[in-house]
Amino acid sequence: MGEAIVITSGKGGVGKTTTTANLGTALALQGKKVCLIDTDIGLRNLDVILGLENRIIYDLIDVLEGRCKVHQALVKDKRFEDMLYLLPAAQTADKNDVNPEQMKELVTELKKDYDFVLIDCPAGIEQGYKNAVVGADHAIVVTTPEISAVRDADRIIGLLELEENIDAPRLIINRIRPHLMKAGEALDINEITTHLSIDLLGIIADDERVISSSNKGEPIVMDPSNAAALGYRNIARRLLGESVPLMSMEKAPPSLFTKIKAVFTK
Amino acid sequence: MKAQVTHFLKNLVNIKGKNKGLVLYLDDQCAYADLLTELKAKVSDPALDSDTEVTVHLNKRYCTDSQIQELSGVVQTNPHLKVVATTSDILTVEESDQMIRERQSETYVGIVRSGQVIKAEGDLVVIGDVNPNGRVEAGGSVYVLGRLKGAAHAGTKGNRDAVIAASWLEATQLKIDDELETMTDELSSLSEQPEMECAYLHTNGTIIIDRLQELRFIRPQISTFKGGS
Repeated sequence: MGEAIVITSGKGGVGKTTTTANLGTALALQGKKVCLIDTDIGLRNLDVILGLENRIIYDLIDVLEGRCKVHQALVKDKRFEDMLYLLPAAQTADKNDVNPEQMKELVTELKKDYDFVLIDCPAGIEQGYKNAVVGADHAIVVTTPEISAVRDADRIIGLLELEENIDAPRLIINRIRPHLMKAGEALDINEITTHLSIDLLGIIADDERVISSSNKGEPIVMDPSNAAALGYRNIARRLLGESVPLMSMEKAPPSLFTKIKAVFTK
Repeated sequence: MKAQVTHFLKNLVNIKGKNKGLVLYLDDQCAYADLLTELKAKVSDPALDSDTEVTVHLNKRYCTDSQIQELSGVVQTNPHLKVVATTSDILTVEESDQMIRERQSETYVGIVRSGQVIKAEGDLVVIGDVNPNGRVEAGGSVYVLGRLKGAAHAGTKGNRDAVIAASWLEATQLKIDDELETMTDELSSLSEQPEMECAYLHTNGTIIIDRLQELRFIRPQISTFKGGS
């Protein structure tokens, strides 16, 4: 029996879908069988970021309404053998076409076959949110170092804490720009964690290549030299129970050249 | 006829003068109808011919709101009399429970997050932070052992002696009874380090923020502690 994790944020555009794609990929790279569910019905994106858009035959609504079996709708990511699957959202329906009971049943069903079921939650706190959290055992809240995102995260954490079946939510701070934090112009990590007072699961540096790789349909986490990718890989390891210390800024490991240079400049 | 009989036995309405007006003491054992009849007779006494404020005291009789209105109406058939208050020596169990609740202190342990509202009928103690867009309301005072960064409303049912105290008073809005203060930069009393502060309602109707240590002089009645050595 695997575990279901909902990835949510309240506010839109903070990186829920990117986080879902990258964490799923990172967990698959660690040898776990992962199923990603896009619950953003009507505004699906997860398929695009994973580069699986063209392979969608059936979607979440087709499964829930019995037009196909679950395994028919699951899109396999061929880059990861048999480890990563996506259950895409429907684009021609809306969030009210699904009810929480159906979602709970579906997630419970998928947990039997997968180590991790990651549920990408839509922005907002309405029906779409309710559908996304109902089947989850754990929750990850994504925020950025902006006051508006932190406020919405606070609201979402309050709602998640009311859910009896979900463990205490954990936090990912996304899009960190170290120079802004250092200058005191963005909230720093400490401020955010004391304000929200939940466990910090990891931090992700702001990196332009996250955008370019998402546009190409290749999650950034596949590039091990990238700082953001390292952040996601560390989070995946923490999800698997390893204790990975938080790096100063989750920077990429120094290259061989800089290591050699450091020896000579000592 | 009946009223006249009882009238001989006992005075059902006793009128006494007090410093500012009259107090009508109503008998609590007789029938309500007899009381009305006698009250009517008493207030129509031509001797009561100057404008007077009247308090109606019901002793141990329990009257419904409509009965109280009826009694006041009877008193005010004399145009010189004005009922300013109705008092009684008894409470219903419900009213008594309500009073107990309003005097109790409730404790909330945890964070009051954005969108959450915590309400108490009496005092409210929050052990944890109140985050922005979170709200705490109390019939009595609000005490926050943590950072108050949201909105707080004390004395929701008209208690103007209620206070708001916090380890860190950084609220967006403070309200005591129906006086609201928005904590904007224009407010000169805001401190840079709002540690251990309290807010109370000045007699002029504005909310004042002061050091927590001043509370024992400003609202000594909050202290319920008796004894000690």
